Amino acid sequence: MINTVEKNYIDGVFKNYKITKSDGRTWFIPLVEENSDYQEIQQWISEGNTVIDNPPE
Amino acid sequence: MALSRIDTTNMIEDVPQSKLDNNINFRNIIINGDMSIAQRGTSTSGVTSSDGYYACDRWYSQTDIGTWTISQSTDVPTGQGFVNSFKMDCTSAGTSNADEVMIRSKHEGQNLQYLKYGTSSAESLTLSFWIKSNKTGNYYVAMANANSTQDRVVSFGYTIDSANTWEKKTITIPGDTSQGFDNNNVENLTIYWLFSAASGFTSGGVSNTWINYSTSRFANSNLAGLGGSTSDEVYMTGVQLEAGTSASDFEFLPFDVNLQRCLRYFQDLAPKENDDRFTLGENVNTTRCDPILYFKPEMRAAPSFSSTAANTFSLYHSGTSRDCTSVALDSINNTGGNLIFNVSSGLTAGGCSQVITNGTGTQCFFDAEL
Repeated sequence: MINTVEKNYIDGVFKNYKITKSDGRTWFIPLVEENSDYQEIQQWISEGNTVIDNPPE
Repeated sequence: MALSRIDTTNMIEDVPQSKLDNNINFRNIIINGDMSIAQRGTSTSGVTSSDGYYACDRWYSQTDIGTWTISQSTDVPTGQGFVNSFKMDCTSAGTSNADEVMIRSKHEGQNLQYLKYGTSSAESLTLSFWIKSNKTGNYYVAMANANSTQDRVVSFGYTIDSANTWEKKTITIPGDTSQGFDNNNVENLTIYWLFSAASGFTSGGVSNTWINYSTSRFANSNLAGLGGSTSDEVYMTGVQLEAGTSASDFEFLPFDVNLQRCLRYFQDLAPKENDDRFTLGENVNTTRCDPILYFKPEMRAAPSFSSTAANTFSLYHSGTSRDCTSVALDSINNTGGNLIFNVSSGLTAGGCSQVITNGTGTQCFFDAEL
């Protein structure tokens, strides 16, 4: 179960999601539709949850 | 020396027949059906509603009632050749059948095309498994086809007749002539072993044949229900799903073959000893090293990445080892990718660092599960 989702920027580019799950573990999720965690994030967003987005300045 | 003559008098004319029945390789659709592979660790305690993969590879647990320890057990049916089973042990009770407790097995559609689902030649399937629980009564198995056009489901019942006794169950499922499996690498067929379920899964009763998907048709309301007592536990092993109307002997695979099949879905690339060399990377600047990793075999899809704490890794550069301060994923696909390891200072840009482990039990998980 997802607790938080944050966009992860590498060298100024949004490369993947950084998420924490309810067991406390952190995961990096590639932006790939075949990835089941990515699918879960899309479902989580569709349920009205908010992705943390702090793009580098 | 010239070959003069071959004496055929005592030559064997016929190769002796194998004594193994149904000796068709890879007939078992289930991967790790003997529960022998457990890359994530052999036991996780305190599992509540964190549905996911624990202990045995490829086996997904849903525990929405109570608290559970999920483990790879050595309790197995006697004389069957199994070494391990998958165990769910309730350690803090809830209310049985108030919510779901189940095990799932998920499968790619591209591995199921030979079943000819969606045609008049659709193959029957036979599911066999060994199971043991403290609680006797009615239990249910459902299979769902997540077809992109029309989801389908079929469900069946079985009974656990004797408490704390290994029993083999066999269920034959007619083929679905109406709907095929999509030919792709995502979740198509999912098998659910239900041990507890709320009315949303039972109100319609079992279907016994393929129907358009309805969650209410997964089980009957007389499901025995686990999770209501700390005595509740269930073990399972020897799971086989095969084409045909009868169950053949379990198809044991060599350990390396079984592991190789699991690596398509999950890999832990970190060595388990202290101070082990892990990989090499270029120092991008004085604090960052980007090592490249390759997956063998290639994974099902670009995987998710997770590791133990940053300081369980060090960068060894120019004779000095420096603890990492952060670890992140840069880019990745199903054949490999690169990570980012940061230290506080001391690297030479353009140089090279070895990534090494600090302590035992370091994890570098790549997960492409369904």
